[in-house]
This record gives sequence, structure tokens and C-alpha cells, in this order.
Amino acid sequence: MPKQEMPSGALTLLILRVLHSGPLHGYAIAQRIHALSSDVLQIEEGALYPALQKLLLNGWATADWGISETNRKVRFYSLTPAGLQQLDDELSAYHRVHGAIQMVLRTA
Amino acid sequence: MSNLLRRLRYLLNRRRHDQDLFNDLEFHREMAVRHGGMPLGNALHLREQSRDAWGWTWLERLGQDLRYALRMLRKSPGFTLAAVLMLAIGIGVNVAVFSFFDLMVLRPLNVREPATLLRFHRRGITNYAYSLPYPEAAFFRANTRTLSALIAVNASNVTVEAASQVDPKPLPVNFVTANFFRELGGASRFGRVFDPARDESPAADPVVVLAHGYWQRRFGADPSVIGQTLRLNGQPATIIGVAAVDFSGLGQGINEPAMWAPIARQPYFVRNSRLLTDPSSESAGVQIWGRLAPGQNPKAAEAELHALAAELRRQYPNAIWEDERLPSEPGGFATSMITGGRRGTGAEKGDPVYAIFALAGCLTLLILAVACGNLGSLLLARSVARRREIDIRTAIGAGAGRLIRQLFTESLLLALMGAVAGLGLGIAVLRALFAATEVPGWFNPMPDWRVAAFALGAALLSAILFGLAPALQTGRSKRRPGIARHVLIAAQVAASCILLIVAGLLGRALNHASSAHPGFEYSQVISVNPELGRDSYTPAKAQAFVDTLTAQLRAIPGVESVGLALAPPLGNVTITANIEIDGRPIAIQLNRTDAQFLPTMRIPLLRGRNLKPGDTRAVVISDSLARQVWPKADALGKTFPLDEGYTVVGIAGSVNAIKFGEADSVQAYLPMQAADAPNLRALVRTVASPRDIAHSIPATVRALDPNLTPDVELLSSSFRRRLQGAEYTTLAVTILGGIAQLLACLGILGVVAYAVGQRTREIGIRMALGARPAQVLAVVLRQFTVPVGIGLLIGVAAAAGLSQFLRGRLFGISNLDTATYLGAVALFLITAALSAILPARRALKVDPLTALRHD
Repeated sequence: MPKQEMPSGALTLLILRVLHSGPLHGYAIAQRIHALSSDVLQIEEGALYPALQKLLLNGWATADWGISETNRKVRFYSLTPAGLQQLDDELSAYHRVHGAIQMVLRTA
Repeated sequence: MSNLLRRLRYLLNRRRHDQDLFNDLEFHREMAVRHGGMPLGNALHLREQSRDAWGWTWLERLGQDLRYALRMLRKSPGFTLAAVLMLAIGIGVNVAVFSFFDLMVLRPLNVREPATLLRFHRRGITNYAYSLPYPEAAFFRANTRTLSALIAVNASNVTVEAASQVDPKPLPVNFVTANFFRELGGASRFGRVFDPARDESPAADPVVVLAHGYWQRRFGADPSVIGQTLRLNGQPATIIGVAAVDFSGLGQGINEPAMWAPIARQPYFVRNSRLLTDPSSESAGVQIWGRLAPGQNPKAAEAELHALAAELRRQYPNAIWEDERLPSEPGGFATSMITGGRRGTGAEKGDPVYAIFALAGCLTLLILAVACGNLGSLLLARSVARRREIDIRTAIGAGAGRLIRQLFTESLLLALMGAVAGLGLGIAVLRALFAATEVPGWFNPMPDWRVAAFALGAALLSAILFGLAPALQTGRSKRRPGIARHVLIAAQVAASCILLIVAGLLGRALNHASSAHPGFEYSQVISVNPELGRDSYTPAKAQAFVDTLTAQLRAIPGVESVGLALAPPLGNVTITANIEIDGRPIAIQLNRTDAQFLPTMRIPLLRGRNLKPGDTRAVVISDSLARQVWPKADALGKTFPLDEGYTVVGIAGSVNAIKFGEADSVQAYLPMQAADAPNLRALVRTVASPRDIAHSIPATVRALDPNLTPDVELLSSSFRRRLQGAEYTTLAVTILGGIAQLLACLGILGVVAYAVGQRTREIGIRMALGARPAQVLAVVLRQFTVPVGIGLLIGVAAAAGLSQFLRGRLFGISNLDTATYLGAVALFLITAALSAILPARRALKVDPLTALRHD
């Protein structure tokens, strides 16, 4: 499977989006994005964990201790109200840019 | 919760956060392995990357660097001690100078709301004066609206009798308005201070408040003095209080008076005083400070006093000057106290305080430069020795930036340690100086935030000076620290060369001043000031008194002649007139004298005649003045352009030392006027020992009027006192020069020793091939000739430039005096050569066989 370059800034958007459905631990976030993208997007740990720290820093997510499916203590990340707002903002921005790009691609 | 708060919280719980992150990654790896996924990358690196997001990495690295730097410094205590000591000296001398500047200029006095205090002086069209007639001050005080209070201070010397013992010398007593303590927030240590309600009236009980220092010295800090009676000029007064030790007051100079008394009772203590009633500026007058009323500014106050002065001039058209202004300056600083009672005509001279401090600052910065240059060389040598360590660090992935940061952190740590030690050293030096010179208690060199900030700034500057170059050089892993080392050597040489030259110039000037002929003979002359002005004699009565006194003085056996003058040489009175000749300003030292003055002082009359009794518009001018005003023509018979004009009747020899520090001083001697009589001083030339005759003079004066306290002094004592300031300056600069020289020699010694160590192998080969000792020495030392030569050139040039500002203190020695420059350069070269030869000799002892096996 060829590696796909992630557009810059898109990773935060994707993490926010998959957390929208509920709290997840780091590995599950990567797995979920991988699965939902039909195995196209592969999230590197080197990108995932710094991005998660950024979410914590900006107050978009919190990390709480929970028990994993393998019965191990691990932190679950969940969206805060500020994170939800951020998701909305980034989504509408993304849609606007995406629409604009589509328009250019279709008509040019 | 804001972003910053979260960052801070992260910082506080850093360790837990890090563990959490570690757990996350561990879990991730377990899961990946379980699902047969990709192996994780470098976990440590990943953790660092993630932590980066919180923006605290710099702090962690700084902590690492500091810990490492501490370890390195602990590992070589000798180096650390030497470095801190050098920096402590370099920073310490600067801290001492800056602290003094801070005390004089920057730090507000310890009085209530110093920011709203203004000091006023008088400025007419041609005249200026820093004291006002009391009636003028009182008029301002009664009518001002822009000032909420006006404080007047009259500084006098008064004979004090306490506990039935008369002090041998008159003591300084400040007569002040009764609001003095209340307005300045001055509290009493014991008893009470003046109360405007009780002490303002001219009929109030005569009382005094003792200054803390005088109370300690004279009464042994005895609290029971309150209520005791002492006598000022024979008049009893009650001691009502002792001022607090930290109360600075306001007055003339930073030296404390012995006591304060209400100005309303000044006529009681000083018989016949006209201070409170005489509106003319001839009486001693008062210095005034004003407190700005709320919402007012200095401009408004000046405008109001200008208008008030014009109003008062209608009442006293002679005493108040035409278009008299009252310029203000900030009054809440020690500088406002050192202007004293200056007066004169023409433009005012700028305050010399700043120039003196600028010069002192330049010289002490040079010491710091030498210390830094020295330390820089040491660090360079060390950095070469640490090449192995640096190589290892580079090999395991440290970038150049990271290495430079780490090395610079070490320098910074050293500099900070040096600054702390320097702060202690500088303050200790000031304390010792103050203790030796009886400075009042409130003039306290305890460092404030400005001094602390200055020390910190000096530390940063020196860290950059001595640490940045070696750090950059090592960080870039150059193999030969050539240029940087040469620059450092040149800088050291230049700086210590400047200090040596300046010290040499000052020393030579001092030598010249104490041995050269000042243009008059002072060793056999006694100056007698009967202080009639203070006792408020009228001019006519004073004239009669002076005539009797001179006759009696002349009758003393062993007295050769007696002359009279308003401003005798070496006295504390100078009268300056500024005139313009062809657009060139000349500051003339004016004197009003009788016919006996010139012969008594042995000032030779070169041409023409002396002043004679009855002269009114005749003037004798000095040879130097004649040459300046009429460079080509003969001055005799010309009209001298001062006031309404005087006819030049004689030309006298120039006097060089009326005021030290002015090589090209010019004098004019005018006939005395009737109004001068109360302020005349008598100069007594003796054949016999002047000391013996001086002892009998006070009795002679008191026999004529028992209320007088004459000031009698040998001119030779005044002369020595005059030189004392110059002696201190010379001593201080010589010590600085010595320190710089010592530092520079140590630096050269270290650098040469290092160079010898570096080239042992090469020297061994040369010797094996038959090189003679001189050739070996040349090899070792040749590399230093260029930087030392350049440093000397820069030093000589800079000293020539810098010493321009010294010209006023060189007593007529040129600031480009060749002998001094040659001497300083020679001294430097000799000591430098000695300190270079010492380690270089080791090169001669190199055993070729050992050297070749070396390494």
C-alpha cells in the first residue's frame, strides 16, 4: 500500500472528527482513520502524538484514564466544547476551500 | 482557561505528563505488535517531539546546560576562582562608580515625595545666582499659588558652645523655614522637630534640632540632650530634638550641618543680621526649594515666579534684577545640593558632575574590558583542550547552535557569579571610602534596583565580550582559534595602555602642580576672614573695622605686609566675569583689591603701575589676559571692556593656581568699592613663622569685636587641601592602571604558556635540527608581536582622544605629553615582555626526544 501524504492541517481536522463520535485512545484514533479511509491514510506515531499534544494545549481535547479492550490502563482522548467549536470552524473552512478547489478543477 | 495557563500547568506537572505520554506510546507499541503492524520509531525522539508542542523545550535545555556548566566549573575550581575573581574586579569597580552616580544623580533623596520638589535659582539678563535674598524668597512664599510650600535654607558657620565647651572651629548650622521638617517628612529620632505653628514666629523660643551625626560625635549619642541648652554665638538655645539618621534634609552639599535652627530666629543668633530684611543680593541669602502644588508643573511655577519677581522689582528696583527669572531644576536629588551658592555673570558653566562620572565610567569600563579580554583568552585555551569532548558531542548529533548555546551558558554562569562577587566588592569599597570621609548616614551605598540591574547588565555585557567569541569558534569547530585570540590580546593591550597613560598624565600633572610656581608665593601668607558680612556690618562700619584691623596686623612683629582682597588666591570665593573678545568668550577671574595685595602675594608687576588709593576706574590685568585681548597692541592705557570700562594701568604676572584645573587662567584686579568692605579678607605676609602668628590673630580680631568668629588659615594649608582632590584622583587612577596592568600581564603569561604547550613538538624538532635558543624564543613569541603592536597603537590613539576631556585637570601639562606616553608604553612593554619570557623559557627546556615522543 503506497503511503499517502496528508495535507497539512488535515490531521487535526481528522482527529477532531473521529473524536466527535466518542472518546478514543491514541492507537484507536490512528486505526479509526486508517479504517474509515479504506486503508488509504496511514497515521504515523511521529505525527499523531505531537498533534494530540497540540489538541491538549489548545484545550480542544482532554485526556482521561480508562481501560482498553486489552484490559490495560490507557488515556482516552475526548472532545471539549471548545474542541467541538474548533471542529465546526475547521469543517466549514475545509468545505469552503474544498468547494473552491473543485470549482476550479471542474471549470478550468 | 487560557493557553498560557495550560502551558504553565504543564510545566508544573511536567514529570507526570511525561509519564502519561510514555504510557500512551508504550500502549501504542503493544497494540501495533499485537496487530502485527509497523515497528515504532525511536521512542525517545518521539517523546521529545511530542513535548515540543508545549513550548518548554528551551527551558529544559537551559536547565541541562546550567547543570552541565556547574559540573564543568566545579571540576576545575582553579579556573573558576581565577575567572570569578577577575570578573569581580572588573565589574566591582564599575559597580562602585555607578553606585556613586546613582546616589548623586538617580536616586531620589529620602524626603517626602521628592518628585514634586524643585530647586530654584536666579537668572537675570547677565547675572545668575544660586541663592536669593531672604525678602525675595519670603515674598514668593507669601504669594505663590503654584507651589504648596517653599523651603528656604541659609547655611552659616556659627560658634557653638555645648556643655560649657566651645568648639574650636565654627560649626555649620542651617537656618531653615519652620516648615522644613514637616514638608520633607523628616522625623525625629528623639524629641520633636520644628513645628510651623510654634517655631515660625520671630518671638518663638530659640530652639535647635541636632543632626544625627553631630549628636553622635559631640554628645556620644546621649538621648538626655533633649531640653539641654547650648549657645550659638553666645546666645542660649534649647535642644528640642535629634533628627533621624536617614534624614538627608536639603542644604549646601551632601555633608550634614551640625544642627538646624528656625530662620525666623536667625537675627537672635547672629547679631545685627540683616539676612531677613536686606533685599540686596550682597547679603548671604538663602537657597530655596519649592513643593509643586497638586496639578501644577515646573513651567507654570517658573512663569508665576517670573511674574512675582517683576512685581517685587517695583518695590526694590535695585535688588531684583531686570527681567529676573527663576529657573527650576529637580530638587529631590543629591545633585541639587551640590550647586551651593554659585553666582556669576554671563553664561553658566554646565554641571561638571556628568563629565566627571563619564570619565570615571570610561576608565572603569576599560578595566572590565581587560578582565574580559583576559578571560576570553583563557576560555579559548580551554576550548582547545576540550576539543575531544566537543567532537564526541558533535558525533552523537549535537548541532552547532546547540554547542554554542551550551558553551555560552557556561560563560553566562561565570559572569553572573562574577557580578554577584563584583556587587559585593564594589559596595564594600564604597563603604570603606565613605567611612573614611565622614559621609552622613543617609548617604548609604546599599544597592537599589538600579545598581542591581547595572551589575546584571555588566554581567551580560562581559559574558558577550569574553564568552561569545570562544563559543562561536568552538561551535563552528574551527581548528585554530587564531583571529579571535589576537583580537582579545590587542583589546587587552589597548585598554591597559590607555589606563597607564591616563594615570601617567595625572601623576605628572600632580607633580607639576605641587612643584611648579603658581605665580604667587603662598608659603609665608596667612588669610584672615573676619566674616563681617555674616555679622551684618554696614559697609561704612566694616571699612572702619578693616582699617583698624590692618593697622593692628601690620603692627604685629614679624609681619611684613598686609593686603586686602575680595577673592584671595586658594580661597573658596571666586568671582568670574565672562566677556567676549571678537566673538571669543573669555572667563576672567575678577578680584577687587587694595594697593598692597599684589606685593603681599608677590605677584610681580611687569609693566605700568599698581593700583593706588583713590583709583576707581583703573585696572591691573594679568599678562595672559593682555595677550588674549590685545594680541598685537600694547594693553597699557587701553580701555578694558568690562561694565562701563576701566583703564588698564598695569600688567601683572599671570597666576596659574587661583583655581587649579585651568591652565590658561586670566586675572583682572579692580579697585575696591565701598560696598565690598564687609566681605574683604586680609592677607598677611610674615617674615617669622606664619603658624605662630596665625595663632594670635583670632585674639586680635576678637579684641576689636568679641562677637566675631574669624576664619584664619595658612595659605600653605589651603594649597595642600586644594591638591588633595587631585591626589585622590591620581591615586585612584593609578590603582586602576595597576590592576589593568596586572590583569594584562597575567593574560599574556597564560596565553604564552599555552602557546608553548601547544608547540612542544615543533620546538623539539627545531631544537633537534640545531636551532639556537634565541631562534626558539622567536618562534614562540613572534605570533604575539602583531596583536601587541596593534593594541599599543589603538591604546595610544584612544588615550590621546580620551585625555582631551582631562585637560581641565592637568594643571597645564599637555594631554599629549610625549614623555608620559613613551614612559607608559615602555612600562607596558617591559612588564609584558617579562610576563611573556617567564613561560617562554619553558620552551628552551624542551627535551627534543621527549617532545618527539609526545602525543
